[in-house]
Amino acid sequence: MRALIDLIIQKKHWFVFILLEVISLVFLFSHNGYQKSVYFTTANDVVGATYNVISGITSYLHLKEENQALEAKNEQLRKKLLDMQRLMAQDSVKRMPALPLKYELVPAQVVNMTLHKANNLITINKGEADGIRPEMGVVCSQGVVGIVYMTSRHYSIVIPLLNTNSKVSCRLRNSEYFGSLIWERGYANIAYITSIPRHAPVKVNEIVETNGYSDVFPAGLPIGQVVRLGDSSDGMSYMLKVRLFTNFATLREVTVITNYTSAERHMLEEVAQNPEKADSTMLKQLGQATEKPQTDEKPQTTEKKQTAEAPKTTAPQTTEKPQTTEKPQTTEKPQTTEKPDTIR
Amino acid sequence: MSSIYLSRLFRLLILLFFQVLVFNHIHLLGYITPLVMGYMIVCFRRNASRISILIWGFITGLLFDIFSNTAGMASASCTLIAMVQPLILNMLSPRDAADDFKPSYLTLGFWNYTFYTFLLMLILHGTFYLLDAFTLADWLLTCTAILGSSVLTTILIIFIELLVHSRQKKKHHA
Repeated sequence: MRALIDLIIQKKHWFVFILLEVISLVFLFSHNGYQKSVYFTTANDVVGATYNVISGITSYLHLKEENQALEAKNEQLRKKLLDMQRLMAQDSVKRMPALPLKYELVPAQVVNMTLHKANNLITINKGEADGIRPEMGVVCSQGVVGIVYMTSRHYSIVIPLLNTNSKVSCRLRNSEYFGSLIWERGYANIAYITSIPRHAPVKVNEIVETNGYSDVFPAGLPIGQVVRLGDSSDGMSYMLKVRLFTNFATLREVTVITNYTSAERHMLEEVAQNPEKADSTMLKQLGQATEKPQTDEKPQTTEKKQTAEAPKTTAPQTTEKPQTTEKPQTTEKPQTTEKPDTIR
Repeated sequence: MSSIYLSRLFRLLILLFFQVLVFNHIHLLGYITPLVMGYMIVCFRRNASRISILIWGFITGLLFDIFSNTAGMASASCTLIAMVQPLILNMLSPRDAADDFKPSYLTLGFWNYTFYTFLLMLILHGTFYLLDAFTLADWLLTCTAILGSSVLTTILIIFIELLVHSRQKKKHHA
């Protein structure tokens, strides 16, 4: 003990030295940000490396439990995958929720599209070979997309709602007042509804949907939501600003409704509009068609009829309607659907 | 006894004054700055109390740190040379020297004194610049700074020594 005390007394300058150096270093590290950060980084590197080694060793100890947990998870995921595959096999078509099951749907992918022209067109990768004909409705899971305009063997051109020539008849979900949806060049998610009468109780945020008057879309498919109430230029009706549900900018998967278009109805309406031009063959066909009423449950017969009559029905349409634009009117015949509106 | 402390304090204040106002503004080649404060430790007598050297060294460094905003760097390096100063002095002192001789170019001889000063300054600047850089990434730059400032400070200290002794001689003659 005495020797120790002697040693301490003898070497006391060492203790003073160490004390003073420690004080200096404390100053250094507590007042200089740079040295502090370097110190801590070095310290962390060392600690990190140590922990890395330690965890490398200890991880082996838990391998068995880990393995069991992974095995269980694997089993669970495999089960889920099987369920999913079964579900997908049952229903490979991405259905729009509002579409009743009786319609025959052809899924298709968008292969080309413009958004910013006045007359935008969409190309989809299904055509006549898949039963697609002009004037069929195209929808997606969010809402209405447009109407088929031209078809080739494996491709079709769709006139979307975003086309200044597009005119789709629609109605307000709550009040069932109807009008027609048009688009003005500009925003890819905004369209307008014209010819809703002034006395209609329209509210903002009201849902706009198709009204089954046309033979393109069945009734009740969502189109959009009213965002602003405006007046039409003549002041006689509303001009509603509608935000479309369909996001055209990201549109990829669409569905074509192939068995809704009724050739019989089409022809009847044409004959009714231009009775002097309706020739005897058309009336004859019409008679045959009425004798054998088509049902939606038998899509095969419908399609056959369509293929047989498609060239005849589309051809007179272009010639008989000079008041519309040069292009054959793509939508259902708006004249017939709008007439009651103007009378009202 | 108190006169020794007073003279040390006086020397410390003079050195601090010049260090802060003159030498801290010398940046040869951008990074060579002489720490003339080290002269404070260089002129301790042989067999002076080691603790007193340490404490004086620490205070010197601390004052320098306070004025030049280098917390801890100079105090650490000054304490270090205060620790090694007696060893180096013993190593270089001539055999016939008095037990408590004061190191100067008169007692040690010019080259021995220069070597003694240079060694201390090398340790001082070595510690200081290494703590300052705190990395060996720019080791060439750090080495240049250490060597350059050691040489420069040694020259300055010898110059001060000559000045002091010439004054003392004059005083003596008068």
